[in-house]
Amino acid sequence: MQHRSRLGTLGQLFVATALALPPAVHADEAELAQRLEKLSSELEAVKAELAKMKKDREQAAVVAAPVQSAQPAQTAQATKPAEAVYTNTEAAPGGAPETVITGYGEINYNRPVHATEDTQMDLRRAVIGLQHRFDAQTKFAFELEAEHAVTSAEDPGEVEVEQAFIEHRLSQPLAIRAGLMLIPTGLLNENHEPTYYYGVERNFVETAIIPTTWREGGVQVVGDVADGLTLQGGVTTGFNINKWDATSTEGKESPLGSIHQELALASAKDLSIFAAANYRGVPGLLVGGSVFTGGASQGAQGVPNMRVTLWDLHARWTPGPWDLSALYARGTISNTAAFNSTLVGNPTLVPAVFDGSYVQAAYRARFGNYGVAPFARLEFFNTGRKYEDIGPGLTPAPLPTERVITTGLNFDINQHVVVKADFQWFRQLSAANRFDLGLGWAF
Amino acid sequence: MRVEVLPIVLGALPASAWAVDYLSASEAEALMFPQADEFATANLRFDNAQLQEIGKRAGIPARSAQWGVRVARHAGTSLGYVVVDNVVGKFELITYAVAVGTDGAIKQIEILSYRESHGGEIRLPAWRKQFVGKTVAGPLRVGEDIANISGATLSCNHVTDGVRRIVAVLQVARETGALS
Repeated sequence: MQHRSRLGTLGQLFVATALALPPAVHADEAELAQRLEKLSSELEAVKAELAKMKKDREQAAVVAAPVQSAQPAQTAQATKPAEAVYTNTEAAPGGAPETVITGYGEINYNRPVHATEDTQMDLRRAVIGLQHRFDAQTKFAFELEAEHAVTSAEDPGEVEVEQAFIEHRLSQPLAIRAGLMLIPTGLLNENHEPTYYYGVERNFVETAIIPTTWREGGVQVVGDVADGLTLQGGVTTGFNINKWDATSTEGKESPLGSIHQELALASAKDLSIFAAANYRGVPGLLVGGSVFTGGASQGAQGVPNMRVTLWDLHARWTPGPWDLSALYARGTISNTAAFNSTLVGNPTLVPAVFDGSYVQAAYRARFGNYGVAPFARLEFFNTGRKYEDIGPGLTPAPLPTERVITTGLNFDINQHVVVKADFQWFRQLSAANRFDLGLGWAF
Repeated sequence: MRVEVLPIVLGALPASAWAVDYLSASEAEALMFPQADEFATANLRFDNAQLQEIGKRAGIPARSAQWGVRVARHAGTSLGYVVVDNVVGKFELITYAVAVGTDGAIKQIEILSYRESHGGEIRLPAWRKQFVGKTVAGPLRVGEDIANISGATLSCNHVTDGVRRIVAVLQVARETGALS
C-alpha cells in the first residue's frame, strides 16, 4: 500500500511537470528561470523519492532472506518466536494445496522363452489422477487411464475413467462416497500402482478371478468402527451377463472381466451390494475379506435371473523386512444352465464356479536409499472350476487348474520408481513360460 | 547456530492457528509432557554445515534451516522437546508432534491431523508405540524397525521420515549446545 501511494505521488509530480511546461514557451526570461528553478527542485524531490523506494525494497529483501536461505547464524535474524513453532512444514505457506495431481504407469517387456516371436513391449498403462478438496469434509477423486499407448480405430489402446467420485466425511470415523469407485476387494484392487506389488504383471488371481482394476458406479459408506477395523459397504452397478461372448476366449481368461460394465452406459436394472471388512490394528498386519453380489441379467428378454457373487479372504503381514501375503477368491454365477443351453456349440460357456489363491513372500533390503526386494509367488487359479449340468455331451468339462510360479526382483530407485524383473513358470501352459521386465512409477 | 528461547505459559498457544482434527499443538505437548509447568519456544537456525550434518544423520535433507521447537520444563529444568511438523501423506498434509527426551530418545508421537481417506491407523497407539525409545541411531525406517500399514505405505513412510529428520535436528541442536 505504501508503494502504491508513493507511485501515486510520483504520477502527480509528472503530470504537474507536464502541465507546467507549455506556458513557459510564452514566459519572459525571469519567469522562465523561476520555473526552471522550481522544476529543478521538483526533480530533486523525485530523485529523493526514488532513492527512498529503492532503499525500502532492499530492506524488505533483507528481512525475508533469513527465512528462505540457510544463512549462517551470525547473519541470521530471529523471527517472531510465537509463529516460528508453527512453521515446520513441507507444504507451501498457507497449507496443502486444494488440488493435487497424481499419476502412475508402467512399461512392460514380456518374452515367452519358448515362443520368442511373441515377445512384446508395451506401455501397459499411464494414468493421470487428481484430488481436489472442496472443503474440510468434501473432496473429489479422479483417475484417467490410457492403456497400450495409442487409442484409435486401428490401434489396441483404451482410454478410460478409472475413478470419479465425491467423498464427504460425515464425522471423524464415517465417510460417504458416491460416483465411480473401486470395489474394496482383495489386496490389489484399491492399491494397484506398480510400486505397490511384486512382479512385472499383477498376479493372476487378482486379474482373472477378481477383475482388477474393478470399479462400479454407486454409493459407498466407509467407517472406521473400532481400533484398526474398517468397514465398507455400498450399492452399485454390477455385471451384465448379456455381454458374454461365447465365441471368444475372453470369458476363460477372466469370467468377470468379460462382463464388467465400468459405468460405460451400464445396464442398471439389477444393482449389486457389497461389504468389506479390513483389520489393520496390529502394525504390519492386514486381515480382511469382502463379498459382492448382484443380479446380472439386467432384465433382458429370455434371460433367466442370474446372480454374480464374488468373495475373498486376504491377509498381509510385514514383520521387519519381510512382506508375506495370501489370498483366496471365489466367484459364482447362478442359473447358468438355462443360459448356457442357448450357447451350446460355442467354445466358451459361462462357468458356475471360478476361484483362485496365492501365497507370496518378499524380503525388502535397503542399500542407502535404494531398495531391493526379491520375491516368490505361488498361484493357483481356475476360471472354469465347475459348469452346471446341461446334459451329457453338452456340459463343458471343468477347466484344469493353472499353477503359476513367479520369482523375481523389485528394485526401488526411490519410493516412487521401481524397476522389476521376474520369470514365470506355467504348469498347464508351459509354452507361455516367460521372462518379464518392467519400469513403473507412481506419485 | 542461533537460538532464541522465550518462555510461554502452558496453554497460551493460539489453538486457532491449527486446523485441528484430533489434537491441538498445545494439547499434544501437555499430553506428552504432563509434568511440565512451562513450555518455551526455541527457534533454531542452522548453518549449511549443520544442515548437511542433519541430512547425513537422517538420510534425507533437513528441509529447512529454521526449526521451531518447544522446550518442556519443570521448575526450570528441561524435561525434553516437542516438535510439531507437517508432511504430505499421499494427497494431504499430516500434522504430527514428536516428543523427545533430553537424552535424545523419542518419548511419544501424536497425530494431530490426518486427512487422507486411507491409513488412519497410523493414529493407533500400537503403530505410534513403535517409535518410543528410538534415537537418531535408528534405523527408524519402514520395513526395518517400523511396520507398515497396508494401503497407507506413503503415509507411513513420510511420517517415519519426518520423525527421523526431527530426531536428527534435535540431536545436532543438542550437540551444538543450542538445546540443553
